[in-house]
Amino acid sequence: MRRHNRLLAAVAFTLPLFGLLVAWEVIVRAFDVNQRVFPAIGPVLQAGIESVQDGTLIRHIGASLARIALGTLIGIVLAVPLGIVMGVSPAISTFVTPLLRFFSVLAGIAWIPIATLWFGYGFGAITFVIFNAVFFVVAYNTLLGVTSIPMQLRHAAASLGAGRWQVFVEVLLPGALPNIVTGIRTGLGFAWRGLIAAEMIATNVGLGYMLFVARDFYRTEVIVLGMIIIGLLWLAIDRLMLAPLERATIERWGLVRRA
Amino acid sequence: MKAVPAWLRLWSAYVRWTARWPALAAVVPFVPVVVLWAVVAESGIFPRVFFPGPMEVIRSFGKLMYNGILPAYLEDSVVRLAAGTAVGMALGIPIGLLVGLSDRAHKLLWPILLFFQAIGDIAWLPILLIWFGFGLGTMTFVIVYTVLFPIVLNTALGVRSVPLELHRAAQSLGATRARVVWEVVLPGALPNIVTGLRNGLGYGWRALIAAEMIVGTSGIGFLMFDARRAGSVVEIMLGMIVLGILWYIVDSWVLAPIERATGQRWGLVTR
Amino acid sequence: MGTGDAVKNLTIENLAKTYFDPFAGSQVTAIRDISLEVRAGDFVSVVGPSGCGKTTMLNMIAGFLPASSGQIRVDGRPVSGPGPDRGVVFQSFALFPWRTVLDNVAFGPKMRGIPKEKRHAIAREYLELAGLAHAADRYPNELSGGMQQRVGVVRALANEPDVLLMDEPFASVDAQTRMTLQEELTRIWQERRPTVVFITHDVAEAVFLANRVVVLSKGTVLADVPVPLPRPRTWHDLIEDEGFKSLSAQVLQLVRSA
Repeated sequence: MRRHNRLLAAVAFTLPLFGLLVAWEVIVRAFDVNQRVFPAIGPVLQAGIESVQDGTLIRHIGASLARIALGTLIGIVLAVPLGIVMGVSPAISTFVTPLLRFFSVLAGIAWIPIATLWFGYGFGAITFVIFNAVFFVVAYNTLLGVTSIPMQLRHAAASLGAGRWQVFVEVLLPGALPNIVTGIRTGLGFAWRGLIAAEMIATNVGLGYMLFVARDFYRTEVIVLGMIIIGLLWLAIDRLMLAPLERATIERWGLVRRA
Repeated sequence: MKAVPAWLRLWSAYVRWTARWPALAAVVPFVPVVVLWAVVAESGIFPRVFFPGPMEVIRSFGKLMYNGILPAYLEDSVVRLAAGTAVGMALGIPIGLLVGLSDRAHKLLWPILLFFQAIGDIAWLPILLIWFGFGLGTMTFVIVYTVLFPIVLNTALGVRSVPLELHRAAQSLGATRARVVWEVVLPGALPNIVTGLRNGLGYGWRALIAAEMIVGTSGIGFLMFDARRAGSVVEIMLGMIVLGILWYIVDSWVLAPIERATGQRWGLVTR
Repeated sequence: MGTGDAVKNLTIENLAKTYFDPFAGSQVTAIRDISLEVRAGDFVSVVGPSGCGKTTMLNMIAGFLPASSGQIRVDGRPVSGPGPDRGVVFQSFALFPWRTVLDNVAFGPKMRGIPKEKRHAIAREYLELAGLAHAADRYPNELSGGMQQRVGVVRALANEPDVLLMDEPFASVDAQTRMTLQEELTRIWQERRPTVVFITHDVAEAVFLANRVVVLSKGTVLADVPVPLPRPRTWHDLIEDEGFKSLSAQVLQLVRSA
């Protein structure tokens, strides 16, 4: 029954998008829009097929995904333990919170110029921008999550025989998990934007680069193709990775109502 | 009874001062960070060219303030952001209302909204450059686009979270549909709208900086990008610090309190 | 009080606690001098006006707070931190929201390294005791307050602690449920006979549950009142019982005068 409903929901979701496709084609034909200004669906698909065939699309997508995956992974792996360790002590967390807040406020795009200066153009700088965005936001949210765990839960675990490490794994980590997931969502959002922006100015492979270079040649069909792919990729990340994570943790444990 | 040790008395004084002036608690933690920065810069672990110290940044700040560049760029950035945000709200709140109130509009538009939000503001820059060239139009579009979606989505959420009973209560007291929207739905959705504004601005200023880097001829983003081209780290750092402080102030001391106040005063639960 | 032969399970000797209040800028005395002996199988209720130090004392027995001076010993061993020999039941239930009811009760045994099959069996046994076997696979947020606290009680019991510490455990629950929980607690206590220290501000509750009521005042022990009422006890019986009424009045008078 549930799978049936999910399928229906997926269909309901894609239907308006199909409608949009139809409207797109109709408008372009009806108003005889200059192909340079806005292409019809045909040329876009054509460009897509070509770039898949000559391998460039795969290369660009691969580069972008590799950067975001690496930066995000390192960011999370470093930020979560750090956030928990800092959050455990009320003194340290009060002190560090404004600092983390400041840096997470600055996270992502603002670091592009300095990253390219320190690491040169290319993979390193871009991955740094992504890492940066994810790290500070996740660390901040993890810290927040840990400080919001009621002291009594930590006491309860200790009085049931849990040692320091066990309290970390059994209480602090799950307790902070909703905030960690929220942090990942926000950080990833900033990271994704930062990725595209950085790829426009700081490298020669990747989706952002593909868009930017297409502009130079007035190849709008490539630009539109790129935009659609970017949109689909983020939707995939959001619906297939983040949303299930949130459902499995936040909502099931009844901790925080999804806003 | 033991005598109170000196450091404990100092701590007690700190606690009392920060209770009276919370701003103090926000500023004090940065002091050791700045000191650490100065020490690391002085020690020369990293070449001075790549890692200048706070004194150089301050000197640059003074210079750029004096010759008027910093205030001008700051004004440019802030004005663009404000204008874009104003347009974004003027468009976003009504659309959000529509999507929130009408089930049909919701089913039709929600996936489209999510998809366009997923594309992201920055991905639009290349095509905008083709359409509008390197001008104000491009940048305003990007900011409006960025700010629009969080506002629309959160407004819709807020509208839908207003309980049906409130609608009915208003109607049974004689309110027309329009008045129900104005008197009941909008105030009820206000906390969510403020959240949307806050999120929107968070993405918005980032979009602004990115746009200024890629497209612009003025503004803080341009300042940083230009400094990058000249290899001048000092100005990049200055730009980042100015941005950070500005947004920190706006977010923590203007937006967050408004969000809390609208939520708490009306007893509505905010995230 | 106790004869020389009785096993003294919990001993508190000249306990004192002062802490520094940063706002006042001075030291505050929470507990001046408490000495207490609790024998194995005792059910001791501790009452007193707000600020008399009862919760602070409990937190120190539990090991959540260090003592400024004096000693607490459980079965002869000095207390120096939280541990499974002193189980705690909290006013806010403190159930782990990300674990099912069964996993919550099995938590203590899990910490002791007991394998999954065995600890689940132990947990189910204790859930049976509390009449909650049917809720084993639910999450805490799906249960009512009363049910959550019952889970809290058996979670602590499942670990078979030497002493069970209860910090106003029924204060967050409505009056009807509270009476049910109190009767259940006495029933469980009669079956298992744990040593219990029960903190409450409700004098009637204190007398109903315990065989000894300790009245604290301003950080010291004011009185130690035995409660020789017969068991099993139900509210229906005791509410009109002369012995119960006079004991309650006596304790209330002591608390009021503190």
